[in-house]
Amino acid sequence: MEGEDEENVGPFRRTSARTRRMATRMASALASSDNRAQAALARLEALESDNAAAEVVDLNDDDEYDSADEEDHVLMQKKQSKNMKRKTRQGKALEKKAARSFMDVLQEANLESLPPHVPTYSRAAVGPPSTSSRRYYCSVCGSSANYTCVRCGTRFCSCRCQVIHNDTRCLKFVA
Amino acid sequence: MTGGSGVVVLDNGGGLLKAGFGGDMNPIAVVPNCMGKLPGSKKWLVADQLQAQDVDVTGMTLRRPIDRGYLINTEVQREVWERVLHNLLQVDPTNSSLLLVEPQFNPPALQHATDELVFEEFGFKSLGVADAPSLVHLYEASRQPSLFRAQCSLVVDCGFSFTHACPVLHNFTLNYAVRRMDLGGKALTNYLKELVSYRSLNVMDETLLIDDAKEKLCFVSLDVPGDLHLARLSSKDSPFRCSYILPDGITYKKGFVKDLDEAHRYCSIPANREWVGKDSTDSDRSKFEDRKKPELSQNEFVLTNERFLVPEMLFHPIDLGMNQAGIAECIVRAIQACHPYLQPVLFESIILTGGTTLFPRFAERLERELRPLVPDDYQVKIIAQDDPILGAWRGGSLLAHRPDFELMCVTKSEYEEMGSMRCRRRFFH
Repeated sequence: MEGEDEENVGPFRRTSARTRRMATRMASALASSDNRAQAALARLEALESDNAAAEVVDLNDDDEYDSADEEDHVLMQKKQSKNMKRKTRQGKALEKKAARSFMDVLQEANLESLPPHVPTYSRAAVGPPSTSSRRYYCSVCGSSANYTCVRCGTRFCSCRCQVIHNDTRCLKFVA
Repeated sequence: MTGGSGVVVLDNGGGLLKAGFGGDMNPIAVVPNCMGKLPGSKKWLVADQLQAQDVDVTGMTLRRPIDRGYLINTEVQREVWERVLHNLLQVDPTNSSLLLVEPQFNPPALQHATDELVFEEFGFKSLGVADAPSLVHLYEASRQPSLFRAQCSLVVDCGFSFTHACPVLHNFTLNYAVRRMDLGGKALTNYLKELVSYRSLNVMDETLLIDDAKEKLCFVSLDVPGDLHLARLSSKDSPFRCSYILPDGITYKKGFVKDLDEAHRYCSIPANREWVGKDSTDSDRSKFEDRKKPELSQNEFVLTNERFLVPEMLFHPIDLGMNQAGIAECIVRAIQACHPYLQPVLFESIILTGGTTLFPRFAERLERELRPLVPDDYQVKIIAQDDPILGAWRGGSLLAHRPDFELMCVTKSEYEEMGSMRCRRRFFH
């Protein structure tokens, strides 16, 4: 999660220098083409996450903690070098071994080359549902949603929820 | 029972690790399978140290050895197993055999890594590998033999990383008919984190706390539109509204539900009620005010309709945008992949296992979803286990207790001679 300047994103945005926290995947999704489908995909991927991504950010957060006092540049540099050492010793050792995720192992296993009667991980997946009709829930209060926001595509159920959405949440993915 | 030449039964789950000796009724250790580190300190807490009374889990970074259900990170797993074997079980690996419960379709590279971990790092005498559905079938069949006269059943295992529907015949899992949904306890917790962060506090880092809130407060609704209307009522009338208090490190070290009786008010509503659909604008307005007030004090968040919308995801993943069939269809597709003679028998013996089935009213809702998809002349019977978390472990304990267990294992000398690939052929998956 990084704080980002949002002045360069899209024509509707007010330029704002305030740093806002944004999920890394959301940031990359927005930066690419402002596509609603991509933001939805990013959200789904976040659902699958195992909290392993937080490990890398943790060391950077320590940086922010220590460098609260920005006048002391020398001190900050010293602490940064200490942090770099910390990263190489313990964190990196753990990271190097865990760099392969399960999806990488799956790719390497090359399951498509097996004959079709052999059951594999990919063939065992249940596949798409029989009907593609879905229900939408309001992002603000959770009841059944009937209306869509014009700008970002999220759903809401009533005018009151729309007002809250436009004030605080439209295009400002706080997570 | 310490060490000796006993058999250690280990159920390596994505969420919880269950470990104990073969022949026992209950495992000795049921601990989270991960390592955690608090933001301020450099020390890593392993497995059961995370459950200790004085540990405040706010903002803890977790490292899990299991990714999407399969053992990826052997370093972390070694730490967890060492803690469990040496401190909790107090057993010497070089003197014992190991029965490991693994998920299905484990890729050969990961099987190799696991074998290395077992034989070379810990030095167990021998290793036996089993998969969870056949163990669950073994356990249930031994408890209630009259129900399983046909020796087959469909085991629905809703675990942490995914959900499988596996037909089991004569203690063998029919590989070709297994169907898998990539939704489990982990995805439900992540969804609840997202909902709470979007509507009240930002809890995206608090996996263990939200896990706890999910287990205590979520339930499955039998009628979603009706319950959504009930949830819109003001706080006096709404039977679903309850709040969860986060620990602040000073007074409370663990998160807890504010008022447990309040949280169980929904049970008193009869299941088949006719709701009178009149939303008054007054109730909506008061609901928004109520939602805003309690957050400023104390560090708590309020849950109303999230309580039943989160488990709803298992039944309709497409509501989230995931292009996967729900659990009812998963069961139907698994059964349809079997021989037609087996199908009616499988529908009659569906066993629910895995921690995610512990939501109240899960079995009832599943039966309601499943019944329209099944032909009229087949009977549908769902059996929920007494203790779904320990189900596979108890089956493993039964298996380990059998006198011919040692014949099924691969010994260390065989592994060193023939290598991992040849030895794995002995296990049928």
